[in-house]
Order: sequence, then C-alpha cells, then structure tokens
Amino acid sequence: MGVLVTGSFGSVFLTTETFVLMAPLLLAALAFLVAFRARFYNIGVEGQLYIGALFAYLVGSRLSSFPSAIAIIVVVLASAAGGTLWLALPLIMRIKLQVNEIFPTLVLNFVALDVVNWLTAGPLKDPNTINLQTPFLPKSTWLPVLIQGTRFNLGIIIALLAALGVYVVMYKTVIGYEIRASGSNPRTAQAGGISVSRSILVVGLMSGGLAGLAGMVVVSGAQHILAQNLSPGYGYMGISVAALGAFHPIGSLISSILYSALSIGGESLQSSAAAIPIELTYVLQGTIVLSILIIQKWLSDRQSRKG
Amino acid sequence: MSAEIYGSLIISILSASLPLTMPILFASVGEVYAEKSGVLNMGIEGVMGLSALVSLWVTFSTGSYLLGLVTAIIAGAAVGILHSFATVRIGINQLIAGLVIYGLAGGIADFAYRILTEHSFPVVHPLQPVSIPTLSTLPILGPILFSQNILVYASFAVALILGLILYRTTWGLKIRAVGENPEAADAAGINVNLVRHLCVILGASLAGVAGASLVIGYLGLYNAGDTLVAGRGWIAIVVVIFARWSPYKAIAGSWLFGLGYAIAAVFIGSGLFSFLGGGGGYFLLSIPYIFAIVFILVFHRGTKSPSSLTVQYKRK
Repeated sequence: MGVLVTGSFGSVFLTTETFVLMAPLLLAALAFLVAFRARFYNIGVEGQLYIGALFAYLVGSRLSSFPSAIAIIVVVLASAAGGTLWLALPLIMRIKLQVNEIFPTLVLNFVALDVVNWLTAGPLKDPNTINLQTPFLPKSTWLPVLIQGTRFNLGIIIALLAALGVYVVMYKTVIGYEIRASGSNPRTAQAGGISVSRSILVVGLMSGGLAGLAGMVVVSGAQHILAQNLSPGYGYMGISVAALGAFHPIGSLISSILYSALSIGGESLQSSAAAIPIELTYVLQGTIVLSILIIQKWLSDRQSRKG
Repeated sequence: MSAEIYGSLIISILSASLPLTMPILFASVGEVYAEKSGVLNMGIEGVMGLSALVSLWVTFSTGSYLLGLVTAIIAGAAVGILHSFATVRIGINQLIAGLVIYGLAGGIADFAYRILTEHSFPVVHPLQPVSIPTLSTLPILGPILFSQNILVYASFAVALILGLILYRTTWGLKIRAVGENPEAADAAGINVNLVRHLCVILGASLAGVAGASLVIGYLGLYNAGDTLVAGRGWIAIVVVIFARWSPYKAIAGSWLFGLGYAIAAVFIGSGLFSFLGGGGGYFLLSIPYIFAIVFILVFHRGTKSPSSLTVQYKRK
C-alpha cells in the first residue's frame, strides 16, 4: 500500500503523471454523465474518443505552418466535432426512430477502433518504424507543457475547465434544469412543457464533443502521435469514474483523480521490486468500484426505508 | 473460375459459419433468459473471456475437455451470482453493474493468463468434428450441417430446448410473467427475485459455455486484452434484440453473424480489398458490427423488450 501511495503522489514526476492520466478519464466520465443525466446511455465514449483523436491528428498534422495558438484552437474544435460526428447516427436513430442508443453506440466503438487500426497500419503509418503508429505531429500543434520537465500540459486545464463548464450548464442554466428534469422523470417533464428530444439532442452534442476532447488530450497533449491502442479503455473506465462520482461533474473530478492515482501507483508497482502486474490494478479498480456502488445503494435504501 | 469451384467455396463458407455461430448462439440464448426475467447483463463479454481462460487452463493441465467445460460453467455462474446480487438483490443500475463486471471479469482472466504463461504456453487441440452416420454423406447438407464438432450440435440443441421450456412449460410462463409484470407474478405467488437470480445465473453459465466453446471447440488458445472473444459477447446482446427475445429466432440471428464472420474471413484472405492499403484487414473486421447496426435499423420496428427490463423489483 505504501508503494501505491508514494508511487502516485511520491514525486513531482509521478504526481504530474497522475494528472496526465486524469485528463482523458475525466473528460470521458463527463461525456458519459451529461448524457446519463438525460437518460441517454452513451456507451460509445470509447469510439468517439478514438475518432476525436483521429481528427486531432488529421487536422494537427496539416497545420504546421500556422501560429501555434490558432493551430491548437482548430485542433480542439476539430476533435470535438469528430466525437460528435461519431455519435450523430445513434443520436438521430434515438430522436427520429426511437431506437435505443445503447447498442448503436456500443457497436460503433469497434468500428472506430478498426478504422484507427486500419489507418495506423496502412495509409497513415510511419514508414520509419515497425510500430503501428503515425509520424509525430508538428511541435507547434502540441498542447503546451505547463511544468517544465514533465508532461503536465494544457489538456489537464482543458479537462478541469470542462468539469466546471458541465457543472455550470447542468446546475446554473435553464437547459441544464430541463436536462435533469427530462432524465429524472421524462413524462412529468414532457407534461410540464419541456422537450425531452431537445434535451437529448443537447446532451448528445455535448457528450460526443467531450469524448472527442478526451481523444485530443491523449494525442495532442500526451502522446503526439496517433497509435493503435492509444486508449486502454478510457471510455469504459469513464463510466466507472462517473458512477463513483455519483454522476456529478465535481464528484467525477474527485473520482478521476483517485482512479488515476491508483493506476499510476499500480504502474510504478509493476516496475518496482514488488512487481504487481497491471491487470491486477484493473481487477482492484473493478472490485473497488463495484463494492462502493453496492454499499452506496445499500445505505441509501436503508436510509429511505427509515425516513 | 468454374461453377464447381464457386460451389465448393460456398459450401466451405457455410460449413465454416456454424462453428462461428456456436459461441454467439450459446451466449445470446442465455441472455434471452436473463432479459426475459427482467435483468440486462452487459457483462457477458467479460464472462466469456474469463470462462475461455478457465476452460483452456483446466483442459490444458488435466487433458479433460469435460472438466474444462464444467469449470468454465462454474466460472460463468460465479460471475452471474455477482451480477444478480448487485442488481436483483441490491438494485444498482443493471447497465453500470454489467459494464463494471465486464472489466472485472476480463481483468481477472488477463491476470490469470499472465501468471499462467510465465512458465508455459497453454494450447489445446480443438474438438474434432463428429460425422453423423448417413446424414453426413448427404450431398451439400452433409458437410455443412452434419460434420461439425459436438459443441456445435449442442449449441443448436440448447437453443431449441430452452425455446421449448420458455414457451411450453409453466417454468417458462413464470419467467415471462416475472419479466412482463412482476407485481402480478408476485400476487400469483411466484418468487420474483428467485426467478431472476436463477435466470441471470443460467444466462451467465451459458455465456461460460460460449467462452469455453471458443477455446475447446474452435481456436484452442487464449489471447489477452479481449482479442479472443473480440466483441462476440456484445454481438450476442444485439442478437437478442434482433431475435425479439426468442431463443428460436436467436438461432437465425446468431447464424447471420456467423455467416458474416465466415465471409469476412474469406475476403480478408482473398486480397480483394487490397485497394485499402496495408491494414485493410482491420477495416474488414468491422463488417459484423456494421451488419449489426443495419440489423437494428431494419428490425427495430415492433421490437418490444420485456416490460420490466432493467427495473429492480421491490415488494410494496
């Protein structure tokens, strides 16, 4: 346990690595939770993340002659658009045809993965390496590093601002109120003059965009290439993170930091003398999430029975 | 190419489609039972991975295929107990619980595989085809239908038997009542949550058989990182919708995907898509998924899931 704690917060480098990991996790969790709050189950965050990453790479690699600030803004917007684009079909199917979104969103994850696998093995592959990855992005399009000598970059600030933004939209605006009303009781909301379809459209656009940003912070912020397996499943982990954070943006901020600390701690365990494999960290995370969800639910049920 | 060569190509595609149908069929029929009783289990992809690893490990070290199958069923049932405890007893969101369990079961399998492969590389010979006397000598149908291994036959038999039980017995009636109207079922003296626990455990056990069938009935090995099951568990859930929660129709749905996989395999080998450049094979792996989306678009009309699906039952 001691190694786990010093591993994640023990040195400046490992602490900043915890935040580097937090950025995509938090964005993925936000992407899931905004939609979840309107009862739109976007299980496709992983796929939207990959397409966001692809767009960030495609656009970034063509902007080497532009000033850095402009290039970065364009990359950010393009990645959000890419994520939203990948959610567009399930969103339209849900709103226009009343087809449940769970399966279209889930299935499109695998298509997105195959598209990126294809491009990184074929047309976009860096011919100078046997690794299945593209050449590096031009340096001017990298998200700037904020602490010299580490990978602590602008992507982390973008993720934190996104959490704040989601909080403000959900709790301080009329559309946020409508979203939450549509989610907690669609019939009453509809009777009260709230358009549930409009709420779903809004959360769908936000959710896809946030997922796309999650891919962008991986590519433009941390890795600077488009590689196969660029995400170890951030899109799925984001669901656990959001559930641990009680589907609240600030709760998810806290749980994403804890989750990343556990992962970075786990990784340094793997490289330390104790040599605990990374898979065990995944098992540990799953066990912790499930136990907390069960205890949370059990306690709240007991309270409501008493009350 | 002559017509004869095309004919034998088609026969070999159809013959190859049945072993590819088998794991999807086992898993989707199991999921039909869980969902008919009102519980969605999104974790079966993970269950299949864990059971695949267990069946490989046990079969490799004992040499007994039967033992490998039985332990895979036990592993599936154990995960089923966890899911039904979390959702039916405690009542946490079925979707979330299933996805967390997917990650958990897959993580356990990969962890075990890493330990196992430190000292050996486990592989087993997949079960040999069993030709059914007389029938297997039929032209065309013989090689397609009656020269498969025993697990392939079993998958179709299980689907038919579970269809009969669901529609023709009082047990089946109880399961459907619990999924459609738990209050009325409870009033009629049915133990709603017991039925649900049993259906979830049965469904996960069949996902266990599905995972084992991939190893001992098809590939004979395991790959880490969910590249062995490779989405078949998710496909099984799509098949359940396509089949409108009927074990019989799940046979047709699973077979369509089995056929999709078999056709994709031929195309990947043929070089027909070389214009996609290197890595084009990856793109073709998407075919079953694109299939799945078209399916949902075409068949979503008139599909009605069991009324109480994903809703926990609490006595008033």
